[in-house]
Amino acid sequence: MNGPLRTKLDSIFRDVETELADDDRLTVCVPKDSVVPVLSFLRGEGCDYLQLVSCVDWTERGELELVYVLSSYTGEANPPGAARANVLVKTGLPRTHPSLPTSIGVFPSAEPYERELHELFGVRFEGHPRLTPLFLEREYEVPPFRKDFDTRQYVEDHFGSIPPVEEGS
Amino acid sequence: MDRNQLAKWFQAPTKMAHKYSLHAVYFCTGCGIIEVPPVITARWDAERFGVIPTATPRHANLFLITGYVSVKTLRAIIRTYEQMPEPKFTVGFGSCPINGGMYWDSYNTIKHLDRYIPVDGWIAGCMPRPEAIFVAVTHLWTLIDKDMADGYKRYRTNYAAYRANQERALGELEWPPLFPMERGR
Amino acid sequence: MRELELYFGPQHLGMVGNFSITLTVEGDRIVKAAANPGYLHRGFEKLMELRSWIKNFPMVCRINVVEPDSMEMIYAMGVEKLAGLEVPERAQFIRSVYLELARVGSHLFGLWAYANMLGFDTVAQWAMYHRDLILDLFEELTGGRVYHIYIWPGGVRRDFPEGFEDRIVSTLHSVGGCVPDYDAAFFNNRLFYDRAKGIGTVPREEAVTMGGTGQVLRATGMAYDIRKVDPYAAYDRVPWDVHTREDGDAYSRVWVIRDEMIESVHMIFKLLDAMPKGEVYNRIPNPFKWRIPEGEAYVRCESSRGELGLYLVSDGGDRPYRAHFRTPSYPHGLTILERALEGASIADVGNIMISLYVVAPEIDR
Repeated sequence: MNGPLRTKLDSIFRDVETELADDDRLTVCVPKDSVVPVLSFLRGEGCDYLQLVSCVDWTERGELELVYVLSSYTGEANPPGAARANVLVKTGLPRTHPSLPTSIGVFPSAEPYERELHELFGVRFEGHPRLTPLFLEREYEVPPFRKDFDTRQYVEDHFGSIPPVEEGS
Repeated sequence: MDRNQLAKWFQAPTKMAHKYSLHAVYFCTGCGIIEVPPVITARWDAERFGVIPTATPRHANLFLITGYVSVKTLRAIIRTYEQMPEPKFTVGFGSCPINGGMYWDSYNTIKHLDRYIPVDGWIAGCMPRPEAIFVAVTHLWTLIDKDMADGYKRYRTNYAAYRANQERALGELEWPPLFPMERGR
Repeated sequence: MRELELYFGPQHLGMVGNFSITLTVEGDRIVKAAANPGYLHRGFEKLMELRSWIKNFPMVCRINVVEPDSMEMIYAMGVEKLAGLEVPERAQFIRSVYLELARVGSHLFGLWAYANMLGFDTVAQWAMYHRDLILDLFEELTGGRVYHIYIWPGGVRRDFPEGFEDRIVSTLHSVGGCVPDYDAAFFNNRLFYDRAKGIGTVPREEAVTMGGTGQVLRATGMAYDIRKVDPYAAYDRVPWDVHTREDGDAYSRVWVIRDEMIESVHMIFKLLDAMPKGEVYNRIPNPFKWRIPEGEAYVRCESSRGELGLYLVSDGGDRPYRAHFRTPSYPHGLTILERALEGASIADVGNIMISLYVVAPEIDR
């Protein structure tokens, strides 16, 4: 299923780069404005299962790479075990003010993943209805999962400086 | 029951009543919640030690903090602890409340629980076995007998220091001080 | 009618795990529910980037306390895929037996929680007792009751002790022999039917759009199980069935859990019969200096709650560059739970939450 998908993607979209690995995984690199059109095209072709929206902080390249892992619930001939879609859609965002449109219109299940990436990496998703903090209860100067947030230094500064309560004081 | 126990009941009835009916508030704070259901069910029956879970902290006098404490959980723990009536006993369960444990470098967990609420005893382990919990309960009985389980009294006398530590860790606290503190803090 | 905002908060007898739901109720009916996770957030994935590949194994099993074995398996699968390691045949069979025992234990824990929610305290005590018998098996095999750290990249840490297979068989016979009692007391009980039929219905379209997997999907009639879709370990070497039900409500989900437990027990017997002899691990390079070549992998397995996935990235160093766990309770506990609770009564919150099998540490990591 992934090979024909690749040919269709290459023919319809001009600005994507595709690669098919040996274990039948298709990797699609798109610029950030084409993310939602590519995702809705793939949805229409049968990739109806968004498994994960993740983000990787590449400091040498100076970008945050957003990864959408797609699969499908049903295979081509639909017995369990038939060939399923196996697609990774990747896009790169600048590390200062990263933002891109939300993909909730295509995959409603992306809502909590985008909230989490917003608070842990600082990526803004335009059009998201509820971009409030999910796990954290305070603001950090640098979003905590970025590589330049030193968690051991933070622990020493904030928790190490709290004195023990003396006995009988 | 041997005659020593009978004598103790007549001499210090309140202490015996506290020891043998430690009702634990049901709050699954962390990883350790995986060893609490085996302890309170039929195989490692905790009710023969007098320990049963209660639904609300207002009816409880034992607080088992099972596992690591994140910053959001610390707020809930302090509010629960302050709702419990005195005398109340706290037991830190696992290595994480002692000094941070496995998550010593995490930005979201507090490292030393006894800087925020008073702790009467610790159970080491990751996870401690159910037998370790029972050893801890019997050790707590010995401490209650010798008047050494006085965490709640220390909270009352050192409340200003505890509250200062809580504010340093959590920022602004939404609830008023439990005990009156001097003006000008 | 006026609306009231309640916190079905972390300290609550109806809550298993440290999780909170903010309910807006009108009388007894819930109008809106908002899940409030974060009480167990440790920043796991950040901590994994600071520890080397082998040092992460004791960490990884603590993401999900109820079934730590599937976490070890998924991390080992990710590391093996990136490093190109092969696992010997006997180790694949041992891994499958080990994971199926963990699945039965985890379902019994879920049964304890669910029976307690509904008030069937006797059945809850039975379920926890039988789970303890399985934990005794784990203790004999690995030394720990809860956190085992048995799966190693390249196989498993040690072979079965002498006579262990017989002990597995006799324990499972004593657990399985009580299934008629469980059926009579709980599963065929009219009270369970009245409390759970039609409650918390998640129709198939909603489960599919919201990313649901595991029992949530199988209770709507779709036979989607990663052990059949994308086989790993020894699941394609023995015949077994995927169980489904039709309606998608709490009743169907709990019946799917029961059928899966019985299927797992039969699967363990078949795997023990078919297990070959041989090595149980392939040696890895010196773990303190192990550098894994650059690459990325997305691997998945079927844990007792649904599809568990891991996106693992390596930059050629001696520690993971990025590890992101896709845990099954994430869509179940955040979006599907909020929708399933609309219109339910307050007494059914625990009922619906445990039938979706939401385990809080998995959401927060």
